[in-house]
This record gives sequence, structure tokens and C-alpha cells, in this order.
Amino acid sequence: MPKIDAHVHVFTKVSPEFPREVSPNWPAEREESAEKLLGEMDKHQIDQAVLVQIGGTSIEHHSYLLHCLKSYPDRFLGIGLVPIDHPNPAEHMAELADGTGIIGFRLFDLGGPRDIFATTDARAFKTFPIWEYAAEKDYVMWLYPRSIDAHLLPYLVQAFPQVRVVLNHLGMTPGKGKFTLDEFGRPQIQVSGYNLNMHTTYRMARFENVTVHLSGQYAFSRVAYPYKNLAGWHGNLLNDFGVKRLMWATDFPWILEEPGYGELTTIIEKLLPNLSESELADIMGGNAKRFLRFPNRNS
Amino acid sequence: MIRPTPEQKTQWEQEGYLVFENAIQGDQLKRLQSVFDYWATECKEEWLDRVEAGEAAATFYDIPNPLEKDPIFIDLIDHPSYYGSLMEFTDDDLILLGPQVRTVAPWPVSYTGWHPDVGQSNPLHIKVQIYVNDVPTGSGEFGFVPRSHKPNSGPYKRPLLQESMPGHKTFPGKAGTAIMFNSCGWHTSMDNASEVPRKSIILIYEKRTPGRIGPEQFAAISEHCTTPERRKLFSLAD
Repeated sequence: MPKIDAHVHVFTKVSPEFPREVSPNWPAEREESAEKLLGEMDKHQIDQAVLVQIGGTSIEHHSYLLHCLKSYPDRFLGIGLVPIDHPNPAEHMAELADGTGIIGFRLFDLGGPRDIFATTDARAFKTFPIWEYAAEKDYVMWLYPRSIDAHLLPYLVQAFPQVRVVLNHLGMTPGKGKFTLDEFGRPQIQVSGYNLNMHTTYRMARFENVTVHLSGQYAFSRVAYPYKNLAGWHGNLLNDFGVKRLMWATDFPWILEEPGYGELTTIIEKLLPNLSESELADIMGGNAKRFLRFPNRNS
Repeated sequence: MIRPTPEQKTQWEQEGYLVFENAIQGDQLKRLQSVFDYWATECKEEWLDRVEAGEAAATFYDIPNPLEKDPIFIDLIDHPSYYGSLMEFTDDDLILLGPQVRTVAPWPVSYTGWHPDVGQSNPLHIKVQIYVNDVPTGSGEFGFVPRSHKPNSGPYKRPLLQESMPGHKTFPGKAGTAIMFNSCGWHTSMDNASEVPRKSIILIYEKRTPGRIGPEQFAAISEHCTTPERRKLFSLAD
């Protein structure tokens, strides 16, 4: 069974060939290339990975992602970005995903009312056309919703039961103003001690088309690798979603310096020590291969 | 104080729950509904801000510090409809841990899955859930697995669908109904497929253990606790 890193980012220096937006943790001169990622993957016997776009939502901003997918078609699949206020999201999505290796799109904002008591009809959500087109084209929805949007999820999932959904980073939903960068340039998300997502995203376990990443531990934990204080969350996700709906990921490159790519390849067995060999293999790649339909790797 | 009947004692021991229909009624119920709605409205925006900040769940909210907001919430803590049973089951050594004055939004899924609150080693832990509005079937009614509070029961596993829990019983009820249950038992809120929020008050008690609740916890309502019994219940100094 292949080992698949189900959520990573790659980018190169800003150039006319590969334009992108910049931010404090991906400045214009920073480069975290596909080749660098492949070096880490090969060193640690990881076969394939999902490249998730960062650096802008426009078609041009996806140039480097598309280049990597074209260069290594048996190693990578891609996730693109689509602006939720795009006048024609279907056109944008089709242009990015038509035969390119992009299999889905990531959303942070679901575009519905902030008040659950005012929420009933998913058709009124700004992202409804995106989901509608994803359903038509069999794209995957890759979600890292804000905490104020967490209640919107089941309306969309219920409206589109055929759409495959991946909840990023332990199903967490970051709060406004809770995002910082640490000394290693890694995202840090301040969360409450009691996992509030037990009452929102974890409840999506009911829907069989929803899966969850076991990733991003470094961003939520306040203890060092292997982030033992998050073992309970992993156990809850395993209990609720089951072993076939969890996918391991590293969130490369943010973890390269601390704790290191190699350390993260063993985090699941440390946080879920009672898994059988085949269960571990499912989480480490079998589920991603099946759910995301990874091609076989050329030898 | 109304002590439980022998039948109620048997049911409590065997099944792990009791239902008190019309526990709150008449003018007291009307006032409770009015006070609940007033404070739920007052507190809603602050809750939404906390949801946005990632400090509260988006699917339900509790009125903060309700005992300090209106004495009717204090009167529920030792309400005669069920107080005698609480005292009986805790050998007259009962303490309040806290109230949850809770509004649960209609949502395609329940806001919580089946779970016990505490393990068998915990001192007897009892909750009383009082419906503030009518809670018919399919609108977030309480669910409980009878006998799941017993040490030799189970094992239980949380099912994907609320209604798939083996052996469970649901408790639709009229406003004013109170359901008392042993929190060692597996329980939940069923799905609310209606268009009406479920309004309820969940009172959390325990058999006293030294130092469990300090005298400062409920000091703000000390003036409302003038009898020795009430001061003991609220862990206030004599």
C-alpha cells in the first residue's frame, strides 16, 4: 500500500513564470520546491502527496502548482483555490482542473450566515455554486473553515452527498484573531482546551462522504512533538469517523525545521498506538489512494 | 421534602433515570420561560462573537452565570419536585456543580453524540434536564440508554446515527418536564429536525466530596442562600 502525504504546500520564488502573492511566511524570495519535498519523501519512503495551493486564487497564481503536477503526474495530485465571490466559479474551476491533476478546491469561508439560528437553506450560501459545480465534475472539497462557519457544513454536505469532503487539520476551525506565526515561522492557532469541534465538525462523521486529515498538530498543541496532549483528539476522530476516513499529512514545508519531516512520518503510531498494521497503513496512504483516487506510481 | 416512592427508588437503581412531568408548572413555568427568553436574547450577540473568536461552539449556547441573573434559576436548584430524590440518592449529601441554561439550534445533526459524562469511579454524578419549551419527538429531546449506568453494562460505542444506539430510550416532553439521570449512563440530545430551538436547563449535581466546590464558586448568590440546607447545597460557608 502506498504512503501518501495528504496535505502539503510547495512554492517557488516569485517570477514572471510563477507569479504568486506574498505573505510573512511565504515572502517573495522563499522557495519550498516540489523537488525539495520529493527529496524528503524519498528519504522517508513516502510515495505520493497532495499539493495544496497557496499564494493566491487567480489562475496565474496556480502556475507553479500546475507545473509541478505536470512534471510529476504519478507523484502528486493538486488542490486549487477559488474565490468565493468569483462571478463564474465553474469557469475558474474548469480551467484549473481540466486534465491538470487538480482534483478539488479548498475553501476557508463557506459564505453563509454567521448565526446558526438564521441558517436553513444552503442555496443561499455564497459557495453553493462552487459545491454545485464540484458535484457535477466530481471534485473534492478541501475545507478549513473558520469557526464562525462551522455550523454551515452539514447543510452543504447534506445538499451534495456525492461530493467528497476532506476536513483539514484535525477538523479544526480557527477563530478570528487566533492565528500567529511562531519562532520557526509555523502557523500557530490558539484553541480552547475543550475541543469545541466535538460539537461541529466532528459531528460530520454522520456523513460517509466526509474524511479528516490527521495533520497540523504543531499548530494547535502547546507541547513538543509528538504532541501527546492531542492524543485524545486523535482517539475521538478515530472513534467517530473510523479508521477508513482518516488521512495522514505533514503540512510541509512548515514542519521542516521543527519537528522535521521524518518525525512526522511516525506521528500516527505515536498518537494512536493501538492501531493494527493494516489500520496504520490505511491512515498513512491507503485511504488517500482510495478516496482521492491516486494513480499508481510508476516504478 | 418529597422523598421518592419505592417504585421510583427501584427505577433509579435499575434504570438510571426518573421523569418528573409538570415538575415546573403554572405561573412559575411562565416566568421561567419569560426570564429564559429575555436572557437568551440578551446574551446571543456576545455568544456569536465568541463563536467567531473560536471560544464557543456554533451549535448551542448557554446563558453565562444564570444564577446571578435571576433568582428563579436558583429556585430550580432545590425545587421540591425533584430535590427530595436528589437528596435521597446522595444520602442527603448533595452539592451543585453548576447549571447550564442552554439553547440548542435546529441543525441537520445533533450537537452532541452519545456519551457518558463520568466514569464509574466518579462520585455519584446526577443531572436534571428541565424542558423550558415543549420538546416533541425529533426536536432535540433527551436520549438515554437505560441500565447503561451500571458497572457491568456495555461496552457501548458511539454510533454514526443517534437513533442507532442499541437499547436507547428517548424522552419527548412538555415544557416543565424534568428528567433526572445518572451521568455515568450513556445519553445524548437527539437530532432536532424541527424549526424550533430546544430550550432546556441542565442542572449538574454530585454527591459531596471534600473540596470539590470551594465556597467562592457561588459566593455571588450568597444572599439568596439563607437556610443551612441551601448553603450546604451551594458549598457556601456557614
